[in-house]
Amino acid sequence: MKRYLAWSLALLIAVSGCAAPPASSEASGAAEASPSGTQAENGRVPVLRLAGGTDWGAPSVYLHASRGPGNAKKDLIFASLLEADEKGIVGWMAESWKVDGNDYTFTLHPDAKFHDGEPLTAEDVAFTIDYYRQFPPVNNPLGAGESFLISGYEVLDPQRIKISVNRSDAVTLTALGGFEILPKHIWERVEDPMTYSEPDAFIGSGAYCFSSYDGAAGSYEFTAFDGFCAGEPAADRIQFVPVSDELLAFENGEIDIAGLPADLFERYASDPSIGMIEKANDMGYKLLINFEKHPEFLELAMREGLYQALDRQAVVDKVFRGMGAAGSAGYAPPGSIYYNENCVQYPYEPEKAAALFAGKGISVAMIAANSGNDVKIAELVKNDLTAAGIEVEVVAYDSAVRDEMVNAGDYEFALVGNGGWGGKAPAYLRTIFSDLSKNRGGNPHSMGPIGYSSERITELAEAQQLETDFDRRVEIFQELQLEISREIPLVVIATQSSYSIYRKDYYDGWMKTYDYQQAEQNRLSYLKRG
Amino acid sequence: MKSFSPQAKTLLFAFLLLALFFVYGGLFYPHSADLPSGGSLEEPSSAHWLGTDDLGVDLYAQLSAGFFSSMAVGLAAAAFAFLLGGLAGVLAGLSSGTADAFLSFLIQLFLSLPQLPVMVVIGAFFGQSAWNIILIVSLFSWAPIAKVLRARVRQIRGRPYLRLAKSYGGRAGYLVSAHMLGELLPLLSVSALSVVGKAIVQEASLAYLGLSDPLSRSWGLLIQKCVSFPGIYFTPYWKWWLLPPVFALVLTVLCLRLFSRELETIWRREESDAAGA
Repeated sequence: MKRYLAWSLALLIAVSGCAAPPASSEASGAAEASPSGTQAENGRVPVLRLAGGTDWGAPSVYLHASRGPGNAKKDLIFASLLEADEKGIVGWMAESWKVDGNDYTFTLHPDAKFHDGEPLTAEDVAFTIDYYRQFPPVNNPLGAGESFLISGYEVLDPQRIKISVNRSDAVTLTALGGFEILPKHIWERVEDPMTYSEPDAFIGSGAYCFSSYDGAAGSYEFTAFDGFCAGEPAADRIQFVPVSDELLAFENGEIDIAGLPADLFERYASDPSIGMIEKANDMGYKLLINFEKHPEFLELAMREGLYQALDRQAVVDKVFRGMGAAGSAGYAPPGSIYYNENCVQYPYEPEKAAALFAGKGISVAMIAANSGNDVKIAELVKNDLTAAGIEVEVVAYDSAVRDEMVNAGDYEFALVGNGGWGGKAPAYLRTIFSDLSKNRGGNPHSMGPIGYSSERITELAEAQQLETDFDRRVEIFQELQLEISREIPLVVIATQSSYSIYRKDYYDGWMKTYDYQQAEQNRLSYLKRG
Repeated sequence: MKSFSPQAKTLLFAFLLLALFFVYGGLFYPHSADLPSGGSLEEPSSAHWLGTDDLGVDLYAQLSAGFFSSMAVGLAAAAFAFLLGGLAGVLAGLSSGTADAFLSFLIQLFLSLPQLPVMVVIGAFFGQSAWNIILIVSLFSWAPIAKVLRARVRQIRGRPYLRLAKSYGGRAGYLVSAHMLGELLPLLSVSALSVVGKAIVQEASLAYLGLSDPLSRSWGLLIQKCVSFPGIYFTPYWKWWLLPPVFALVLTVLCLRLFSRELETIWRREESDAAGA
């Protein structure tokens, strides 16, 4: 999209604290050919380049794709009140906060400002709350409609705002600290935010300014914001460049961080100049059943039969090349501190499955994404189910289309893969399994079974959120997983572990937060850290 | 066959050999092209002649299945192009005025449309199936045939014996079938044959771009799956996973194209001999 955006923004950039983009991409390309270029005087690396090539939407709060990579690009431009680092929650646009029952008082950083130089005040935060109540953004921690989290607010002074909720729980602070603050002076004029893509839609208060976006090529560029109040940008520019083969591009110095294929682990593990970040069991695949279209699976034995039919270890061995685990039927992956090892185990028992499904004449259409590992897993699932006597037709779509179909309930079986399973408190168990909360958001962590309901699961999934005592919350999560593994509202296929590799001598700032494993999708990875 | 040049015979023999290789793989080779029959990424051995892919599915069996699907698409597209191109070419050649202008415009339109982008859009719109691929490829194959045929019909129709036949009351259908078809058929056949090779490449391109049934077995898809395997070029797998489908595609298309060129040369020589006599 919109090359003109880049030009229009050049004007804004000229009057703001954003570092000016280079005069021409050719000139900059030549200067960057060697990844081992020295750091500039300001201590920043000149550019951090990542693999692009996929259109994750324009990086505004209303236009980005709902999945991690789309959200992460928006996160570079926009900032919220709080952030998370390796240990826990830290201040971001708010330098301090105070919790008093159901009231949360945030004190904003005195130097907080937007990319166009306008100060960020409590008025902007208040405006954003009202605006999000009316127009929920893509990534929406505040909820919508009657379940809108915030019951009221009070602007105490330009730097302080008190936000109230009806009932405080374990995740309220994260939610209140997690919404991106919009500049009131821009958005108060906007009546249709869902289509608004003028250059000022990309003005935030994050560490990087928007510089260019080309959806067809899947390329993005961001430039450092010198006026950022919560830290110091670590690079003058961040670029997402289209590459055909990620590892080749990394080897050729075209990108600075890349996914490490499992087969090449040894090749890079022994290289001292290469840094590695592990994402343990963070990518997971599940099989969703639309029970309204296949009510025969409401019978527990039939769902057990699906587990018996599937050789899930083969997915790990063949598709993940050994890096991962056959998924826990309780959903939260092994390795997580919340993981319940006592969940019901379902070994691969094809004979039992075949005996169960024989003569039933079940035929299903399964939708899957047409990229990545999805097609391969779909093929293995199809083979196994066919062998068990279920006729399967696989229809593959672009992953965005598949997501839309799942959200609309327009499927019989759906294979869905997404990141973010490992590392964090499995709050997604509520948004996937609770009858009160599932299928409310657009992202994969809220894609739950349609036409299936369980009082016990709903009760536990909602109760964990209200529990503020950590140990008790872990207990509830474990109980919930056990119940999920018994009831099987969906089939967990497998979780994949992976590594990213980078050159330590060029840039060593890649990091994971205490609850999120994707270093490339984490804005702290792009800041100088003490 | 007698009038075939040695080159044409060699090419035909090479193609038959290739076809035989794949017929064996498709009909007599013990492994399935759809189901895993070995470990993941096994290298070529006596059990798996060309090794296996990451899911453990035999690659020779897949390659053979790909030959059949490629040839099916190629032949179906050629048959469609033969019929539609022939019909449009003859009609345009015989007609005059508005009808000729309209048909010529249609032919020119399909000749000048950028093929791949339009095919990608149509493919994405109609969804993933072998029939759609055949339809799309056919849609872009008939126009070149119609164009040469129209020119040929125009050239023939002015000849004295045809004017004479027409003056005796011969209708268009009779004139074509009795006096023109003999001259048109070789040209039509050679043109249609060249469509087969082109269609195979186009089918592979569409499959490579993800516009075919992702679980089907085709050379384009085989190549696409291999090159999208992370870090493939740093592993030895590409040697048995990527090279065979690329060679199969290149050899098959090369044989077909050169053979159809040979046929054209022979046909032109025979024609000029006839004219000389």
